[in-house]
Amino acid sequence: MTIVKESAPHLRRKASVTRMMVDVLIALAPTLIFAFVVYPLNTLWIFLISLFTMNACEFAYVGLRNMMPKDNLKHSFKERFTYSYKGKYKLSNALTASISAIIFCLIVPAGCPLYAVFLGSLVGITLGKLVFGGLGSNIFNPAAVGMLFAKICFGNQYQQVDTWYYTIPDAASGGTPLGVLNGGNLTNIGDYPLLDLFLGRIPGTLGEVFKITIILGLIYLLIRRSADYRIVVSYLGTVAILMLIAGLTIPGVNALHFTAYALLSGGVLFGATFMLTDPVTSPINPPSRWIYGIVAAIFTVFIRLFAALPEGVGFSILLANMIAVFLDHYEWTNPRYTWKKYLAMGLLLVLSGLTVFLVIKFGGVVNG
Amino acid sequence: MIAKTKKIHDAMENVGALQAIRYVDPEFIYLAVTNARCATADVFIKPGDHVDCCQVVGMRHGPFFEQPIHSTVSGTFVGIEKHYHRNGKLVDYLKIQNDKKDTLTKDAKQRTPEEIAKLTKQDMTEIIKQCAVVGLGGSSFPTYIKFQTDKPIHTILVNGIECEPFINADHRLLMEYPYRVLDGIKYVMQAFNCKHAKICIKSKYKDIKEVYDQVLLEENYKDSGIELCCVGNYYPQGWEVEMIKNAEGIQLAPGELPANRGIINFNVSTIVGIYKAIKYNMPVIKRFITISGDGIKSPKNFRVRCGTAISELIPLCGGYTEEGAEKVFILGGPMMGASVPSDDCIITKTVTSILVINKRSYQEEPCVRCGSCVLSCPVHLEPVQIMNAVKALDKERIKKLNPLRCIECGLCTYSCTSKIQVTDYVRRAKLFAKM
Repeated sequence: MTIVKESAPHLRRKASVTRMMVDVLIALAPTLIFAFVVYPLNTLWIFLISLFTMNACEFAYVGLRNMMPKDNLKHSFKERFTYSYKGKYKLSNALTASISAIIFCLIVPAGCPLYAVFLGSLVGITLGKLVFGGLGSNIFNPAAVGMLFAKICFGNQYQQVDTWYYTIPDAASGGTPLGVLNGGNLTNIGDYPLLDLFLGRIPGTLGEVFKITIILGLIYLLIRRSADYRIVVSYLGTVAILMLIAGLTIPGVNALHFTAYALLSGGVLFGATFMLTDPVTSPINPPSRWIYGIVAAIFTVFIRLFAALPEGVGFSILLANMIAVFLDHYEWTNPRYTWKKYLAMGLLLVLSGLTVFLVIKFGGVVNG
Repeated sequence: MIAKTKKIHDAMENVGALQAIRYVDPEFIYLAVTNARCATADVFIKPGDHVDCCQVVGMRHGPFFEQPIHSTVSGTFVGIEKHYHRNGKLVDYLKIQNDKKDTLTKDAKQRTPEEIAKLTKQDMTEIIKQCAVVGLGGSSFPTYIKFQTDKPIHTILVNGIECEPFINADHRLLMEYPYRVLDGIKYVMQAFNCKHAKICIKSKYKDIKEVYDQVLLEENYKDSGIELCCVGNYYPQGWEVEMIKNAEGIQLAPGELPANRGIINFNVSTIVGIYKAIKYNMPVIKRFITISGDGIKSPKNFRVRCGTAISELIPLCGGYTEEGAEKVFILGGPMMGASVPSDDCIITKTVTSILVINKRSYQEEPCVRCGSCVLSCPVHLEPVQIMNAVKALDKERIKKLNPLRCIECGLCTYSCTSKIQVTDYVRRAKLFAKM
């Protein structure tokens, strides 16, 4: 018998990163299946292209990162390959790339051209993650980076896709549900009944539209504790509060209907469940996570109501990712709840609520 | 998962129900010349000398105190041998052959209750100093220094929590010697002239509660002010700050001494050490230990003579499982215990348990910043930030993150979803911060 030394503690708990990633995959599965059912062919192609691209990039990155140092000896390809990959390319690498790929696949619309899907996933994983040092070091959410890249660069090439699940309402009446919120005519809010928003019978992206599967995934993640409830609660709560203020300010709009409309349209629920809660890009300590959710929600609401573009969630996630780095700075990081942090949260809510109120009341941006 | 870790899975939960086996007369005993707190020592005996039980055979010199070495048996001094100490170093040991007569030195005299009633705090401090009573929960901090406080004390807390899994030494002590524990508490209460004492135990230990509910009804202890206090079952409940929080509702500031708030706390083994010192003028010569872990065939509790070689006890537990497998040999608990490089160790009075566990290797993944270590840390540090600062060798950043507050409970490594040895990084940060 051999006795080896080991530093304390000598026990570990069962939970692991791989298991957390598998949990996210399980939570994503119902939404993905729904996308396959509604748009079988489009989803298949987008899914395969993004999955392949992101995994290939991750694989290549691991190889490049762990290249054999230069010496004057000859090494066979097999030798070099094992040196680069053995023990370095793990299950977690494949899982994390796959999660990014599936999220990316679910936040692009069915009519996204396939070259845009390819370029989006390429840019997303490379600029969103690998340039920062791969798993655990990235600042931005790779899927959000990829989606925005595809949308900004190739947005006009997106096509409308017909499906058996719903029929697109008369094109003249007012565009997408988000377009209605963003500077559109709010009288058109009735074009999309809340039930249709909930069941995803609206034009939108592959996975963001069907709320039942997303809520199932959210519940699963929260039960398994693979997502932090603080971020989800603070994000959804702040969006609801600000949208309620907006609804109360805009004349002639039912505030509750307006809030529910805002929560159910676009990627708010999907982003809160799968993108904002990504632990790598969120702050570390609990109070910062509350603030992070609030900040992301404020960005979402501002972009949705006042910006020149309808897609608020993707941008707000990236902006909040940057705030996360700031919140984790060592000078003020502290896992305890202090009065300063409560004050910061309160001020953020009050000021943003006030901004929403004043801009709508006097800016005349949103017409009733 | 992203959650606060409080419970630690205890694979040996029911070993505490086993009565301790008496193994008090080994052929040889070994006395450490130096220990972790005392770097130098004088030895007063020569090979061939006869020593009595409880005789002072040497003097250890610590940084601010002296500590006599007592023989724990009577017999013949054979010579000096090297064995492993709890701190993982090879240390000189005095080897004494046991004549199994237990002849006591003339100093070890029994005090009558009347004599004890007359003792003042100064007298007791002197007795405890002469008997070298130290904190037996594992800290080995000299108890007489705690006695020297001149702050008014209103409550004595006796720590019988043993929050680490696998260990049952204090559990067995509380079960098997309730009168010694209660008398010891009474002596300490007399010394500090205080009216309240609480024995803190885990609330899941129903058997201890039954014993004390009964014993505390007796004439001697009915109005003594001693009560049993059931606190949480979580880890690190046994840390004094957590214990005081749950037993008394007082939150100590970081680094604050409990005596400032009128509380003084002792481990239950220390209390029995004090009892022996005051009643019989004897040092600690026997103690309870647990031998456990998945590397041991049948885990057991023992009452042994301090100075027994561990290798004699392993066969009594049926030996090791899977002889071929790599094992980790731990003195102390699985969360904070020290791993020693060989089973050639000696039970000193501060060893609470011996664990032999099969070596497990974990595949380390990159940190995904899940924050479990931050949520679990009992002193509200951010182990992951400290780890990143250590990796960056950024001394300013390390100091800002206060690693010196760390109590090395090991929860950050335990809870890490990426299986990173976070505690090791924090230990390194503590070295950096001290520089």
